[in-house]
Amino acid sequence: MKNKYGQIKIQQMAFMLMAVTLFFVLVGMFLLVIRFSALKETASTLEEKNAMLLVTRLAESPEFSCGKAFGAKISCVDEDKVMNLKEQINNYENFWGIENIEIRVIYPKIEEKICGFDNYPNCNIIKLYDKEIKGFDASNFVSLCRKEKSDSEVYDKCELAKLMVSYKKVK
Amino acid sequence: MKIGKKAQEEMVGFALIIIIVAVILLIFLGFSLKKPQKEAVESYEIESFIEAFLQYTSDCKNDRNIPLSIKELIISCNKNEKCYENSNEKESCEVLNEIMTGIIGESWKTDLIKGYELNIFSDKELLSLESGEKTKNYRGSSQDIPSEGNLIEVVFVGYY
Repeated sequence: MKNKYGQIKIQQMAFMLMAVTLFFVLVGMFLLVIRFSALKETASTLEEKNAMLLVTRLAESPEFSCGKAFGAKISCVDEDKVMNLKEQINNYENFWGIENIEIRVIYPKIEEKICGFDNYPNCNIIKLYDKEIKGFDASNFVSLCRKEKSDSEVYDKCELAKLMVSYKKVK
Repeated sequence: MKIGKKAQEEMVGFALIIIIVAVILLIFLGFSLKKPQKEAVESYEIESFIEAFLQYTSDCKNDRNIPLSIKELIISCNKNEKCYENSNEKESCEVLNEIMTGIIGESWKTDLIKGYELNIFSDKELLSLESGEKTKNYRGSSQDIPSEGNLIEVVFVGYY
């Protein structure tokens, strides 16, 4: 009788162990499914973080920065340089790995005009690539400077602008 | 009867274990599914904002007919000097106030920011602008401008 009770106990424990293992396996599978479904979202978040990092550095890159011509300014974008870069942009295909770069003057506020060589500098939006902005974007404040002449002296004319970088969403 | 009671006790024990494990898993799931809240305004953005607006060129000119930047206007305001706009003499502090109100109004339109505060001061207050709600979540940055042995401090705080 005692032996039989012991057998029942062992059987009970075996069932219990199986049930607990099955329970954890099911929960693990459930978590894995959730994790994998969130992978796409994680990839998009990473792209977004990259865009943010890039936008903070882009203004200081040689293709954009004012350099010493404007007296060692930080967060300063040379407007004349950017307009020339726009003409040469085919040589920069996939250079930054982004969809589009746009510089938008926010102050002083004037009617929206996309910059080209025909209307420069009487415009306020410089689109480096002629693509539609899709996906998400990251932006940062910069001062957009160019040289202007007043009577006999040349001075720096700087406007407040936003440098915007757009990324494609991960499919 | 005794065996029946023992089985009941074990069933209750099993149920308890399942409940405890389920609660732990729910807590874990809650943490893992909770998305990290995206910071509404990154401090680098405010830092760049201060850098950028200090370089902005105003329409007010000095006596050499060269337009003053905001940084120069702040220094001029600290010295209680005047500048010239369309040949009209204007107080530097007045022009500074006008431009900064416009700049902040255009730059921080977004719904992400609930309020802002801009303070420019040396040993005296030069400009103080604030608007919106002052919440407990804020980010800010400051910059010093040296002027005749003194430091002028520019502080901008965004509340979100």
